[in-house]
Amino acid sequence: MKGPGRRRRLWWWLLALAAVLAVVAFAIMWRPAIAPITAAPRFEPGLVEKGARVAALGTCAACHTVDPSRPFAGGFGLDTPFGTVYSTNITPDPRTGIGNWSEEAFTRAMREGVSRDGHLLYPAFPYNHYARMTGDDVRALYAYFMTRPPLDAPARTNEMTFPFGFRPLVGFWNLLYLDDAPFASDPKQSAEWNRGAYVADAMAHCSACHTPRTRLGGPDNQRFFDGGEAEDWYVPALNARSPSPLPWSREHLAAYLRTGIAPGHAAAGGPMQSVAENLRHAEPADIDALATYIHSFLAQAPERATPATRPGSLPVPKADDPDLARMRLGHEVYANACARCHDAGRAESSGTALPLQQAVALYDPDPRSLIHLVRDGIAPPDGEPARWMPGFGAILSDEQTIALAAYLRRYGAGQADWPDLAEQVRKGKP
Amino acid sequence: MSYELQVNGKRHRVDTDADTPLLYVLRNELGLNGAKFGCGLGQCGACTVTLDGAPVMSCIVPVSVVGARKIGTVEGLGTATQPGVLQQAFIDEQAAQCGYCIAGMIMRAQALLDQHPAPSDEQIRRHMMPNLCRCGTHMRILRAVRRAADTLKAQDGGGRS
Repeated sequence: MKGPGRRRRLWWWLLALAAVLAVVAFAIMWRPAIAPITAAPRFEPGLVEKGARVAALGTCAACHTVDPSRPFAGGFGLDTPFGTVYSTNITPDPRTGIGNWSEEAFTRAMREGVSRDGHLLYPAFPYNHYARMTGDDVRALYAYFMTRPPLDAPARTNEMTFPFGFRPLVGFWNLLYLDDAPFASDPKQSAEWNRGAYVADAMAHCSACHTPRTRLGGPDNQRFFDGGEAEDWYVPALNARSPSPLPWSREHLAAYLRTGIAPGHAAAGGPMQSVAENLRHAEPADIDALATYIHSFLAQAPERATPATRPGSLPVPKADDPDLARMRLGHEVYANACARCHDAGRAESSGTALPLQQAVALYDPDPRSLIHLVRDGIAPPDGEPARWMPGFGAILSDEQTIALAAYLRRYGAGQADWPDLAEQVRKGKP
Repeated sequence: MSYELQVNGKRHRVDTDADTPLLYVLRNELGLNGAKFGCGLGQCGACTVTLDGAPVMSCIVPVSVVGARKIGTVEGLGTATQPGVLQQAFIDEQAAQCGYCIAGMIMRAQALLDQHPAPSDEQIRRHMMPNLCRCGTHMRILRAVRRAADTLKAQDGGGRS
């Protein structure tokens, strides 16, 4: 009788396969703890200052500082398709921060996304970028954070959708998206371009938001810099698909990255505002390098004929407009509320805003950023110099907001209607 | 154009152009001079009033967009002889120097206390951030808002016991 023997052998094979799979899964998902340190480490002079510049370029504070009086105490909630992830306390408080992390533990977190105690961090923390930081930069960053004032701030519990609350699953994401090969410079490009590429990729992690993500939440690098999203804002493409109605010059871009304002072109709002907030504290030469690198992509955008170069106020709706009532309401809101500051006739002053035909948000492929700007305005953090735009969320009704956005899209940018405009406006009133 | 406005619980009919800022209507048509003209660009907050309970800078609110929403001004909170809780707190803390920003400050604070009767100091600071004071009485203003919140809490506690 061959049957039972063969069946038994098959069972053994299946068992062996299951055991191998279990070992593989364990290897993918499990990481050991690294022993805590008990004495505060000491650093050579200059390293902490260098670390401060690395932290600025890495835009760490954008997520890890919520209250400016409590720097790096964490608590910022980042909404992702997999749930809300809260940034953690990265001050050297031994109980609630990273005070008992050795340099080895810190380096592993930066390169592999593993906490000191061995649990896997969610890739909302962009370790897939920081993995390419040089050892010297990681060490300087460690020196910087370990010398910040320790703050007591326990981590908030993440609100993940099932099954993503099970952290070991991140191990599979790492298998797909964590590339720990060191940064490689491109010999065909200038030293400045390569420095900019390193800053953009390994530190400022520009593509984390400016590149779309796959359904698994990884960077879709086939569509590098094609535009993505962050915190419900549309994040503009930085390549040939750039929505900007005016071509970006390298100088405009450098000013924008340093100050959040490119005169006559753009003002940073939403998540980009805190990026500019961080970059302000970086070395100017590094920001220039970043501008050189990013501009090499933006320069691929074709010159387009847009209303942005047309001077003057936006026009009244045409009498034969098929959506005349809404366009009239939109124009009325524009003329009576927006034009007070945005009209092209205003002289240069601290209150001068962009003529709206130049505002990039009008040219975005979806209306989310414009809606946020209209409702929430632009408010610089306490004590920081920047443009202040008052929000109109409490002033305009949904109907008025929809009409305004539809009017600006058609008569400001001369672009086809946003099909999801009304839905996006009604979706979430702050 | 003719507009019907609801201010401090009273209905008013005004005839004015669609682009007239609510601030001008309040001051020039209705004689409610609490809200002040500061910058006219929504940058300083001296003109702050509430619209359905939310603080807005009335210099950038065209009268045409208001509709049936309820407008609240400092005059609605109390009188010189019977000041409201916030007004009394500002008096007690002597929070005004020149006083130009105070009506706006009080209305912004009122919107906070309506929504969060027991705000933290951090919440007060954040909420009051858009309104500027050029005399520099910010610390007294913050104390006045704190005092009003504490008074309301004490009153509330007293009422329940």
